[in-house]
Amino acid sequence: MVWFEHYFGLCIVQHGRIKVKTTAEQQEAKRKEREKKLKIYNAGTEAVFQKRKNKEFDEEGLKLSGELLGVNPDIYSFWNFRREIFIDLQDKREEAELQKLLQDELHFLEACLKVNPKSYGAWHHRCFVMDAIPEPDWGRELHLCNTFLNLDERNFHCWDYRRHVVLRSNVNLDEELQYTTQKIQSNFSNYSSWHYRSKLLPVIHPDSSHPVAVQEDVLLKEFEVVQNAVFTDPDDQSAWFYQRWLLGRGQKKLQICCVHVSRDLQRIVVLLSRPVMMGQGHCLTVSIDTTPVAGKWRTITGSRMYSTLWVIDLPDQSLPVDKQASIAVTLMDDRYCTKFSEGLQLMPDQEETWAVAEFKQGSRFSTELSAAATSTMAQELESIRELQSLEPNNKWVLLTMIHLMKAIDPEHTKYAAELEESFNKLAAVDTMRKSYYWDLRSKFLIESVLESHDSKVRDVKLCQRGLSCLYHTDWMVLVTSIDLSQNYLKSVRSLSDLQCLRSLNLDNNQLADLQGLAFCRRLTDLSVKNNSICNVEVFEELRTCVFLKKLSVAGNPVCAIEDNVTKICALNKSLQVVDEQDSIG
Amino acid sequence: MKESSVLPPRIEPAYSFPLNCSTNLAKGKFPPVCNRRGKMHVCNPCYLVSEDHASPVLLWDAYVFNSKGTPIKDVVIPDSAQKSLLLQKHCDYIASYGSKKDDYEYCITEYLRMSGMYWGLTVMDLMGQLNRMDKDQVLQFIQQCQHECGGISASIGHDPHLLYTLSAIQILTLYDAVDMVNVEKVVEYVRSLQQDDGSFYGDKWGEVDTRFSFCAVACLSLLGRLDAIDVDTTVEFVVTCMNFDGGFGCRPGSESHAGQIYCCVGTLAITGNLHHINADLLGWWLCERQLPSGGLNGRPEKMPDVCYSWWVLASLKIIGKIHWIDKEKLEKFILACQDEETGGVSDRPGNIVDPFHTLFGVCGLSLLGNETIKPVNPVYCMPEDVIQRAGIRLELL
Repeated sequence: MVWFEHYFGLCIVQHGRIKVKTTAEQQEAKRKEREKKLKIYNAGTEAVFQKRKNKEFDEEGLKLSGELLGVNPDIYSFWNFRREIFIDLQDKREEAELQKLLQDELHFLEACLKVNPKSYGAWHHRCFVMDAIPEPDWGRELHLCNTFLNLDERNFHCWDYRRHVVLRSNVNLDEELQYTTQKIQSNFSNYSSWHYRSKLLPVIHPDSSHPVAVQEDVLLKEFEVVQNAVFTDPDDQSAWFYQRWLLGRGQKKLQICCVHVSRDLQRIVVLLSRPVMMGQGHCLTVSIDTTPVAGKWRTITGSRMYSTLWVIDLPDQSLPVDKQASIAVTLMDDRYCTKFSEGLQLMPDQEETWAVAEFKQGSRFSTELSAAATSTMAQELESIRELQSLEPNNKWVLLTMIHLMKAIDPEHTKYAAELEESFNKLAAVDTMRKSYYWDLRSKFLIESVLESHDSKVRDVKLCQRGLSCLYHTDWMVLVTSIDLSQNYLKSVRSLSDLQCLRSLNLDNNQLADLQGLAFCRRLTDLSVKNNSICNVEVFEELRTCVFLKKLSVAGNPVCAIEDNVTKICALNKSLQVVDEQDSIG
Repeated sequence: MKESSVLPPRIEPAYSFPLNCSTNLAKGKFPPVCNRRGKMHVCNPCYLVSEDHASPVLLWDAYVFNSKGTPIKDVVIPDSAQKSLLLQKHCDYIASYGSKKDDYEYCITEYLRMSGMYWGLTVMDLMGQLNRMDKDQVLQFIQQCQHECGGISASIGHDPHLLYTLSAIQILTLYDAVDMVNVEKVVEYVRSLQQDDGSFYGDKWGEVDTRFSFCAVACLSLLGRLDAIDVDTTVEFVVTCMNFDGGFGCRPGSESHAGQIYCCVGTLAITGNLHHINADLLGWWLCERQLPSGGLNGRPEKMPDVCYSWWVLASLKIIGKIHWIDKEKLEKFILACQDEETGGVSDRPGNIVDPFHTLFGVCGLSLLGNETIKPVNPVYCMPEDVIQRAGIRLELL
């Protein structure tokens, strides 16, 4: 089922064939012509299959299959037949003769590729021929790639073949980097070249400690290359995508970020810096008063996906009432044989306790910039601002400004107003992608709020912030109270991460369901006024929230039917729907 | 800033088309074009559709320039384009497609017959008319295409390949009839093609491509036999094909391409490894595939094509970002690609239809929420009810 960018002259998967209205006469003439063509085609196909069946591996086989492949290079079985012929001839012919035959094959392939430069079969066959030929001329192949890339600088088959040639013939990668520079200079709008650069730089100038694995000084110079391109044509997306990569962030180092112990739920929750799967290279263990605890780690929702949050339900009486306990959690990383531990004390009078890893402010969601990087980013921002004054409505410029401001100032203290203005403008000039911009804005806002908080803050206010979605809910695992009212939320599925949550305000959002809240088992107060909840079944989700006492549902379509409130109340004995009065009123 | 008085050079069109052919339109009759400094500038209007209308309808399959003179490859959809879904016509088109066994096009596409059948049968099932197809004939054909090694070929006489093995297993799953072939041997065949680095050959001739990783994983999971391969290295290989833009290519080092992204994202979804994806970065790249016409392309600076309504949209669905594109505009684009005379969907408005684009057009509309079509599974490109029946439940982002 998976073919892309076919360039067939003749087949069913035709891209770009224009439908033309023809007369009956023309149609008849075409039909006859096709009938004739079909006869030739069928006879040819049959002859090739017959020869193959008879194991006649000879030049005639090449000739017959070649006639058909010349027209349609996607008859994959015929390429296979040609390979069988060459393999058979390898032992039967002199080397010089073989060299000649395979050289002819290369010429034949060039002819095929000129007609169909995007034939998977033809390009792969060329790799086979180059491996089979007694004296391969790789220099000529590189030249051929140049020729084909001059005809179509985006032909990804040819770029792939080029990389194959470079690898086989040990072409100096610096020369390849120069080639991409040349290509980019002749046409900035050359995504394939930018892409190749992103692959070459980490090999030529590696630095595994850097987020994008390239030496910083080299990377900073790349900003200049991009700047040339974007000032020449600010609407060209290739350079902008590349620039986003330069601003990239690396994978976080694995560590334990937070441990929460709950006495009454007899449960421990662990937050890690990146998603892992227990048992697959990673293993968490817990001991209480130096005795290892048996138990199975699970994700919060029981999902089988990799997760940053892991939960263990302790055996009964692991944390008896009124007794001090010292708890140690250890994470083992098999691959790097590393071990992280976090120890904490649960005092006799405590219901819960937690430990949080220290993070430098502003570094939780962003990579810390070096002094050189900071100054480059600042210069970059200056010139992009210049560009913005020339191109006030260019979405790429606006988005890049946003990313630069975010990189320089992860807490949004300096640029808060400018960021907000840029987001608003972006959504207005590029309405097709406004949902993307709103989500990105929500992400940045949540990051700035979380960065500015001390991690011990357990009461989070995110009301009236224009949030369209939630990010980083795993970092809110300790939060007991959150106000998300007056936003544009459509889903609260990820709130399941908030394992300590007691009070939740979701008033004035766009929720039609409450999926996810089933896992917030500590919840006591919930307000979902003025959402789009239509039926009573939605509240079934709350059945597991056994501590839920107060629920406000006014202003939802579901309240239109009086009976419904009674039905919701029936969820659990202690539950009170507090706005009963309002809803009837 | 680039400033020139002449139009930028011609870009290679998908196909050129002589103006004097079957049209009485002369160049002077083209609607006036906007000024170069204006928002859009359309030139080289060489594609036309139908002369049935009172005034000829032109579809501009060509060069739209933005204010800086940068060409944007896109089409312009005329107001007269089809706006409603012609499901019954598409059913009739597919039903009659396979019946023309002596037809030229049918015969010369024998080398991909198995996939062709999968496209046709799947879209018929999604439109609720699978019963119009000759089930027994299909199943018998598939049986005949299984080889000694266990692999399945595109057609009788052709060689086995992973692409067609997956298509065959997809068809058999549609019919709930996987036992029609030797399943053990299929599993053995797929397993035999895995390499030490986790990648897959497409067949014994050694072409490596992430498409084949998807074929292997999709095929085995439909058979409930993912255990037969080394899933960890499969995933590792796919992850090495990830690029600076969050997308994926054919092999390590290859440029991102929406079709390839679909295969890699699908492989990661089936194996429960979607956490490797940077959904924000990839989602951004994918939603930037949407062009002013509403259609989606497969790579930057390429023409829109209905099949990307599948490769791009399904990937977005899997990573939970389908709302990042403009659904209404895409729907309008797909509907404009229908042929109201013959039924079927083409790559771009006014082009010739085929079963491939018909399937992906209909699947795209299903993902966009069209309720007259069955819900489609974004990973397998098969009806959701069929995937449920096969006992498969995947977690998406």
